[in-house]
Amino acid sequence: MFGKVFAVKTIRLVATLFAVSLLTFLLVEQLPGDPILAILPPGGLDDLETIERIRKELRLDDPVLTRYFRWVGNALQGDLGKSYITDQPVADAIKDRIPVTMELALLATIIAAVLAIPIGALSAYREGGYFDRAMSTFTTAALSIPGFLAGIFFIWLFTLKFNWLPSTGWNRITEKGILANLQTAILPAGALALAPLAINARLIRADMIGTLKEDYVLSAKAKGLRDRYILMRHALRPSSLTAITVFALQLGGLIGGTVVIETVFALPGLGTRLISGIYQRDVMMIQGITLFIATVYVVVNALVDLLYAALDPRIRRQ
Amino acid sequence: MQSLRRRFGTAFLEMPFVVKIALVWLVFIVAAAIYSRLDRLFGQALPLQDPFYQPFLFGEARPVEGPSSAHLLGTDVLSRDNLARLLHGGWVSLIVAATVVSFGLVFGGFIGAFVGYTRGKIETVTMASLDVILAFPPLVLLLALVAVYKVRSLTMIALVFGVLGIPTYVRIARASTLSVAGREFVQAAEAIGTKRTTILFREIIPNIMPALFAYALINAGYVIVAEGTLSYLGLSVQIPEPTWGNMINEGRRDIRQTILPIFWPGLFLTASVVSLNLVGDWLQQRVAIRSSAL
Repeated sequence: MFGKVFAVKTIRLVATLFAVSLLTFLLVEQLPGDPILAILPPGGLDDLETIERIRKELRLDDPVLTRYFRWVGNALQGDLGKSYITDQPVADAIKDRIPVTMELALLATIIAAVLAIPIGALSAYREGGYFDRAMSTFTTAALSIPGFLAGIFFIWLFTLKFNWLPSTGWNRITEKGILANLQTAILPAGALALAPLAINARLIRADMIGTLKEDYVLSAKAKGLRDRYILMRHALRPSSLTAITVFALQLGGLIGGTVVIETVFALPGLGTRLISGIYQRDVMMIQGITLFIATVYVVVNALVDLLYAALDPRIRRQ
Repeated sequence: MQSLRRRFGTAFLEMPFVVKIALVWLVFIVAAAIYSRLDRLFGQALPLQDPFYQPFLFGEARPVEGPSSAHLLGTDVLSRDNLARLLHGGWVSLIVAATVVSFGLVFGGFIGAFVGYTRGKIETVTMASLDVILAFPPLVLLLALVAVYKVRSLTMIALVFGVLGIPTYVRIARASTLSVAGREFVQAAEAIGTKRTTILFREIIPNIMPALFAYALINAGYVIVAEGTLSYLGLSVQIPEPTWGNMINEGRRDIRQTILPIFWPGLFLTASVVSLNLVGDWLQQRVAIRSSAL
């Protein structure tokens, strides 16, 4: 039974990836005129020799679909072409910058999860109390503040006012050790974590308010178990499924968020490279990074979907 | 008309206090944004500062002044009037949000209701192709799209946002259509031989609109954040045209001296999003109660 679900989902995944790559490729093709106009660096249009060379290299005179399949074929072998502005292969740029982005996303997820559980649980425990109301105000605010604004505010507060942490730059774990790395990572990760933290806390709260009304919680109370034990052991466990779904939903926001947050803190991540590629109109770079990010996003979503099906028998049966 | 007014009146009275404040703030922002553009529409000067005028060039004011009677919210890094720029910037957010919401409600609502009610192959194809757009992280797709355009006018930005917003509306409209289509009143209409088009417009669409509208408010908040983010990156409407996002970006240069040029647009941006979320949440709760009573 599970094998069939797996097969169907895999086919869907491949189809989606195919469509996503086609769309990414066509983003450039939608430009009116010769694609060479988009590929060339600004000001390179007078250089007829370069134009001819690039036209030959990319075989731009082939039909669109032929070029698409060549691009995807190369991409599958880890070759996303190279930037015509810096001459750097796109795949190298991604390899170089992905650790920063991954660490930020991971750290933000951890911060959001670790803080959301006690906030959600305590809010549900005393529903409508002072803590609950204060946290409801906090989550509303955290959900509404744009990530880049929170980032700037953190820089202002922790760097300029208190002078606790460096505002920009990045210390690599491999070079400076984990503490120096965390010093540069904690502010951007914190700014990134605000929105998922608020969503997680709200969902855990809503979930637990329902769970706390269940009979088995009542019987646990009747047995004389301590409230804290009931809260953590009995009431929190059913929320794990919600947490997994939410993680998938948040991933898109998190990836988009890192792009902006990296720019605010001037971190050498994938997002900054994408943005600088956009500023330079570096089409190969934009295409390559967009395809990479979208692929990661689609694959992780599919994995979460599968995990969900494996965990919840009701979905498996459908 | 009378009943509508009465219904809206009671709805306003039943609102919690914060939601009332949120609504008042939204009305203020919309009115101010329209007001700030009246001079362009009618060619008449208004009692509002020119958002592009730099008085320090003429010795009239200094950059980054505090609030004064001449400049109620002070001046920015180029000594331009903050209030005038904030109200002008509201126009960009308003237009983009309004485009997304109206595209979503009209096109998204109709497509979703249509495929949800007729089902079949069209539904499968439509939903599958929309899934491709939804497969991208939203902001990344937006970035890739605006990246290829050289000229970023308000019209173009609003259109890109508007088209990219449609898929989610289709999903929601389809989902609510599926739940409405099985209801007794639809079955009754089918039983007495009402035309399917009539059922679609008379029974289905009116009943999915409240849910769609509640989502639209929350979506508008998201859109304003996304536009602010693009503006902050310099990839939305171009300077000197003020937007809340590019005002924050310009203010960053002087963050070591003062945070005020960031604070004001940040406050307007956040307050607007909070307000949209509060009103949207409130509406969603009311819709849930109403549809459970249906």
